[in-house]
Amino acid sequence: MFNLLRMDLYRMKRSKFIYICFACLLLVILLCYVMVYLVITPKGQEIATKIGMVEIDTGHEISLAVADEKESFNEKNALLENVTLLDMYRESNMDGGGYLVVFGIAVTLLVCGDYQGGFIKNIMTIHKERWTYIGGKLMAAGILNFLYLVLSFVFNMLMNLLFGNLVPAAPWGGLVFYLVWVWLVSMAFAALIIMLCVFSRSTAIGVTGAILLGSGLVVSILSSITNQFNLSGWTEYTLYYNITYGPSAYTSMADLRAAAVGLVFLVLYSIVAGIALMKRDI
Amino acid sequence: MEKGQETFAVETLSLTKVYDGKAAVNHLNMQVRERAIYGFIGRNGAGKSTTLKMICGLARPTEGEIRLFGKTADNPCAARRIGSLIESTGLYPKMSARQNLIMKARCMGLTDESQVDAALNITGLADTGKKMVRHFSMGMKQRLGVALALLGNPDLLILDEPINGLDPEGIREVRQLLLTLCEEGKTIIVSSHILGELSKIATHYGIIKEGNLVEQIDQESLERKCKDYFQIEVDDCRRALPLLLERMPGLQTEVPEGGLIRIYDLSDSAWVNKLLIENQVQVYASGFHHMDLEEYFLNRMDDPENGRKAFHGKKAFHGKKAFRGEKEGERHV
Repeated sequence: MFNLLRMDLYRMKRSKFIYICFACLLLVILLCYVMVYLVITPKGQEIATKIGMVEIDTGHEISLAVADEKESFNEKNALLENVTLLDMYRESNMDGGGYLVVFGIAVTLLVCGDYQGGFIKNIMTIHKERWTYIGGKLMAAGILNFLYLVLSFVFNMLMNLLFGNLVPAAPWGGLVFYLVWVWLVSMAFAALIIMLCVFSRSTAIGVTGAILLGSGLVVSILSSITNQFNLSGWTEYTLYYNITYGPSAYTSMADLRAAAVGLVFLVLYSIVAGIALMKRDI
Repeated sequence: MEKGQETFAVETLSLTKVYDGKAAVNHLNMQVRERAIYGFIGRNGAGKSTTLKMICGLARPTEGEIRLFGKTADNPCAARRIGSLIESTGLYPKMSARQNLIMKARCMGLTDESQVDAALNITGLADTGKKMVRHFSMGMKQRLGVALALLGNPDLLILDEPINGLDPEGIREVRQLLLTLCEEGKTIIVSSHILGELSKIATHYGIIKEGNLVEQIDQESLERKCKDYFQIEVDDCRRALPLLLERMPGLQTEVPEGGLIRIYDLSDSAWVNKLLIENQVQVYASGFHHMDLEEYFLNRMDDPENGRKAFHGKKAFHGKKAFRGEKEGERHV
């Protein structure tokens, strides 16, 4: 299993998609800070006016629209009062499922790359025990997940500094708690994507799955259907729901639900992926 | 070692693979001796690749057992002794040849990268540098596939169509390489449709048809089976045959069809023509025939029960090309 991990790390280091996916995450964080900067800070508002994001009439009188905007600015300023660095991080990539989509695509390319070129034959000739393949991929995805989460958070901190400390830092305890359970939930999502790739062996299906499942589209559609039959509680146990609405700090045992959901799905999807790989020929 | 105790590099016991209710490989009992070059022959879809996949662990047998060097196939030690190239070469197209080899080396747990360089040198890919595999020619990819199979110094090489796409020079190089590896003590299973090439290196053959192993034969036995005969076409067999048998009573002859006489184990043919012409038997054509592997294989496909029977039949007469004598201008009219 560790040999497979060594192989995957070697490949990941040399694969463009790893860097492109990471760049996507950073770009979203950057855009998020730029938008907040333009909306919140006076200098940013000035720039927003200059570039035409806010209209001013020719008679130097503030138009109704601008007045509305100003009101909106004040509202937003008020909204940012209790926002921490962690909240900014969550808002940028995590809560909408954007991180799951990008990470899911990276995992798809990591797994399906073996199938596309046929290198899987070289792997499976050596590692006849199929579980080692799933374990190796999960470990590689785990390292990638850790690096993406930590480095993107560091970038988030840097952006905050660069834009003049727009939001205060989050307590370290809460931050670590959040990153741990988010790592678990996204690992469960990685296991789901690995399972999908092992079943389909198709990059297109893997990427589509990452987009539909990571963005919560599937959960939303299913939820709207089951709501018709008063069956809505199940959504609280989905990966998408937990990554979006999970806690930012530990306050009670109930806050461990997200981590528990992540762990259960991680095990479940890994087992299904392993069985699928065992049952099918290469 | 006594024959009874001989361990085979590969031994399959009633190996079966069923896809959608149809047996792709049907109770196959294959035995590959150590240090042999085993030519695995069969038509497209005969079950060659499925068999090789099962030996490599890429496909699960529906039934039966595979033993590698006396151990069961799922034994990790046995698996490490195999190097394989099955169907298309499994490569990462956006990596260089060296990177692909390093990937496999890491997958195998090899820490010494000198083996990577050795494999590149052996297959003539050492100077490809950073060129990505997707820009390689088919022959280069095939060589890289062989290099991947050689990594880790395996005792058993399983090569499915290794010379596909290679130019004549490349084919010769691979042939030399396989012969050298065999001399070093490796066992090699090669499947190829280029039977002429296969016959130059194989020491043993296995012929598979519709999932059944029709025959396993070593090179010497094959040569015996493909022994030459002298064929003569005359105007009247009923006159010619007694003349020949009168001159040489122990002569092995056969009349496959009217006007044709085949004489086996004949070294000197000059007296035959002379005798017939002197006795006013008209000789239309004559020449030596030798069945090559391709012909033998085709005949075996036509009649799996008895290749020789088909060989003696009408289909075995392949016109002018089959006659060595005619090719050399020895046609007697």
